Amino acid sequence: MPADPSRSFKWATIICSVVSIVFLIAAAVRENISADWRARQAAFREILTRKAKDAAARTAARNLPIEIRQVVVPALHAVDRCVTCHLGIDDPRMADQANPHRTHPKRLLTIHRVEKFGCTVCHQGQGAALNFEEAKAEDYFWDYPLLPAKFTEATCASCHNPRALPAGSAGRLVLGAQLYEQKGCGGCHKLNGKGGQLGLPLDNVGLKTKHQFVRTNLKGSQTNWNWLAEHFRDPAGIIPGSLMPVPALSRPQVEALTVFMLSLRQRDLPAEYLAPDKIDEQYARLHPAPPDGAALYRRYCAACHDTGLFSRWDKLFQRFVPGIRNAAFVRAADDESLAVNVREGRPGTPMPGWGPKAGGLSEAELAALVAYMRSSAPAMALPAAPARGDAARGATLFAQNCAGCHGVAGQGLIAPALANPVFQRAATDAFIAQTIRAGRENTPMPAFGRAGFGEAEIGDLLAYIRKWQPAGAAAVALGRQP
Amino acid sequence: MTPTQEFLQNLKQAPRHIRESMLRNGKMPETDRERSQSTFHNVFFHLQSVRVHRHSLRFAYTFGLGLILTASFVVLTLTGILLMVYYKPGAELAYDSVKDIHFVVPAGRFIRNIHRWGAHLMVLAVFLHMARVFYTGSYKRPREFNWLVGLALLALTLGLSFTGYLLPWDQLAFWAITIGANIASSPREVTDAIGITAWFDPGKLLKQLLLGANYVGQEALIRFYVLHVAVLPLALAALMGVHFWRVRKDGGLSRDETRPAPPARIGDRDVQVFAPNKTYGLMAVVRGRTPEVGRAPEGTVTSWPHLLWAEMAAFMFTIAVTLALSYFFDAPLKEMANPAIPENPAKAPWYFLGLQELVSYSAFMGGVGIPAIVLAGLGLIPYLDRDPRGVGVWFGGPAGRREFWQSLAFGLASVLALLAFTVNFGWLRAWYPTIPQIAIIIVNPATVIVAMYSAWSLWVLRRTGSIRLSAVALFTCFLAGFVVLTAMGSIFRGPNWQFYWWPSQWPTH
Repeated sequence: MPADPSRSFKWATIICSVVSIVFLIAAAVRENISADWRARQAAFREILTRKAKDAAARTAARNLPIEIRQVVVPALHAVDRCVTCHLGIDDPRMADQANPHRTHPKRLLTIHRVEKFGCTVCHQGQGAALNFEEAKAEDYFWDYPLLPAKFTEATCASCHNPRALPAGSAGRLVLGAQLYEQKGCGGCHKLNGKGGQLGLPLDNVGLKTKHQFVRTNLKGSQTNWNWLAEHFRDPAGIIPGSLMPVPALSRPQVEALTVFMLSLRQRDLPAEYLAPDKIDEQYARLHPAPPDGAALYRRYCAACHDTGLFSRWDKLFQRFVPGIRNAAFVRAADDESLAVNVREGRPGTPMPGWGPKAGGLSEAELAALVAYMRSSAPAMALPAAPARGDAARGATLFAQNCAGCHGVAGQGLIAPALANPVFQRAATDAFIAQTIRAGRENTPMPAFGRAGFGEAEIGDLLAYIRKWQPAGAAAVALGRQP
Repeated sequence: MTPTQEFLQNLKQAPRHIRESMLRNGKMPETDRERSQSTFHNVFFHLQSVRVHRHSLRFAYTFGLGLILTASFVVLTLTGILLMVYYKPGAELAYDSVKDIHFVVPAGRFIRNIHRWGAHLMVLAVFLHMARVFYTGSYKRPREFNWLVGLALLALTLGLSFTGYLLPWDQLAFWAITIGANIASSPREVTDAIGITAWFDPGKLLKQLLLGANYVGQEALIRFYVLHVAVLPLALAALMGVHFWRVRKDGGLSRDETRPAPPARIGDRDVQVFAPNKTYGLMAVVRGRTPEVGRAPEGTVTSWPHLLWAEMAAFMFTIAVTLALSYFFDAPLKEMANPAIPENPAKAPWYFLGLQELVSYSAFMGGVGIPAIVLAGLGLIPYLDRDPRGVGVWFGGPAGRREFWQSLAFGLASVLALLAFTVNFGWLRAWYPTIPQIAIIIVNPATVIVAMYSAWSLWVLRRTGSIRLSAVALFTCFLAGFVVLTAMGSIFRGPNWQFYWWPSQWPTH
């Protein structure tokens, strides 16, 4: 009898069928019976039975159903299945157990009930997952992986004001918020509309996903917190060419600042979730208290100007930073010119403007800052400036005596730029003349008046320096007499 | 027999009667006549002819690709229905519902994997099936129209896969569809270049038709969902019916009619049968060329069980492969769609990456020009190549086989050389920054490669004088181009569509 024409098909069918059945059974077992959480729940049942004190409790423990558990919090858009494995999370008897059966530490859940808050609103991570790797969701396609314990405090700020938390709670977050002020981060970074513009705004940094960080130079863990921590240790190592000063921070300080960065996230939470202090914070943003000049100076100015009593050379900027609280300077400048300098900054230099449209400070805050600077010295009545003389002679004098520090073109080297439009606007002739005449104590600016410059030479210099005045600016120079 | 006895007896025999009534002839067939009846009397088996040619059962002829496609469609329909039970087509809900399918629906992850890999398998098989049909000359008379039906099925398959791609609403889906929609809006490159976009903007119209908005959002999602679960599957099923019907009416699978038929299998013996001189009665009243006129069962075997076994094998093979893939590899699911965080590189589904590569040279040529040329060319093949010889033989014989290898070498070499040139030296815009865009639309790597392939095909035509061989040359070139460009787009293009030898070299942006 000739061979059956469909013999090979029969074999193929049988082999493929066997393969299919094997995979179907294997998948059915893997997906259902051998799921991780079943073993965890069985273990929990054991623990519960062991801890049972009487027969009724033992029966209840034995009958504990093995099933997926979840906390659904519609207000937070949370479906958290963490409790499928963390069964003892709000059971005080489980304090002596190891994870995942352990009670939540610090009794935090008595204040933040699981049914009301769920898990991921504080811990982040993927609440829908049913195994730890996917719940943790690091190196996984998930926007907000589980926060490591040392950074979890970041999410407290969703409902609490980190500046008003009671002592002893969320220590890292509180320290981070303080460091942000103390280190003058606001000098370069905007937050809530206020701050400098050299660095990136920091609003909602905590909401960024790892894809929004430039991680080209990030070694090790690719998480946001590792990025932030490494960046605090060595900003230029993460972002080449970064102008951010290397802050001398201890390890706890790095962690605290990282927590604070992660806490910068505006979540649209229902009012019943907000702590009273958070509501106060929001109220305070709309109705600010009278500004404190010293605090404002520390927050926005000190990062570059330090105490402001002396001028200093900045290595990163490769330029000179004037001492803006220097008594000689403050004495010579009137409030209005100080305010103009603060409000408008110095275009072309790292000094940003701080007016409402730039740095976001209100006029009241600007006034407080000026008042704080004024506390170094009262304004003096300046002797009248000599009449502007011959600019050509002034040019020669400038090249001989001034250009070494102020630059040939007045662009500023180790001394302020005189060709700067805002300087030209803020400075009166009397101010310039007095500075040349009397110099600036505690800075390299000598008193040329004592070095033999007469009023005529000063007038010539004045004429030359005023050549840098922007066209038409003389008329609008703050409506004041030049 | 009392009524009670009769009732009991009927009750006892009910299973047999049910079986008989259901199967019409009631039992496993034992003779060829019963086998024929079993085929004929069953609505599903009736789709097959009673007897099937031995040649059609040769695995190396068809590789079972049509059956694999059918099987994938069945698998996709079944798993798709299961997924539909849990899937919620809302921009806010879709991603979470897919996550729930992944995590808590019993075996949901596995079913989604089957659906995903089954879809990729189907797209792959549809390309291979087309190549098989082309290279065996199966599009020739009387099967020309079925080739066109097949092209429509190809388009529908790609459409189904593309619309399904968006539904998980993750970053992969969102940006792939964004890219796809941008490809659809590529006519704008031409209207921009000649400055009429303000009055006439077919690109925008196409994109809006596809997305229901100017961006990928809820409108696009619901649109894609409806297309994916209702419109396209129904259209595909209907056209599949037409396709099968035409296969049968056009004489079954193509085969070389000039060769002597192998013996027929009658009962369990192989018998040489010669054509009778009379036609079947019914066929006598049917006009035109019908398959069985003047034919005896020479070279055939009964469809039951031989064809059924072949079909069963293909079905089970498809299922086994998808199950194995689904067991070991999870279907991709990235972060939830976020319009604020573009994927870099954002890539369309893999079968469009060849086009995306072309789009990177010229949006119009890659998105409209070349696909239109290719589709028109494919559709015209059976009407331009009317040579009846070479049907049912791979490449139509040794000459075609030689032509295939030569064209493959030429097709691969030219596209690789052109890509290497473009990657290393750039193109017109890099050399003449002010060149008008219309020049680039006309002269770019995409059009150059099409011109090279056409020239090669014309040269083959002149050299051999055979339209068939020149068609083989052209088809092979385009196949080589498709494979290379798809690989280029999938593997060798990284962030900002830069060339990288391997994805591990991509910078973490």
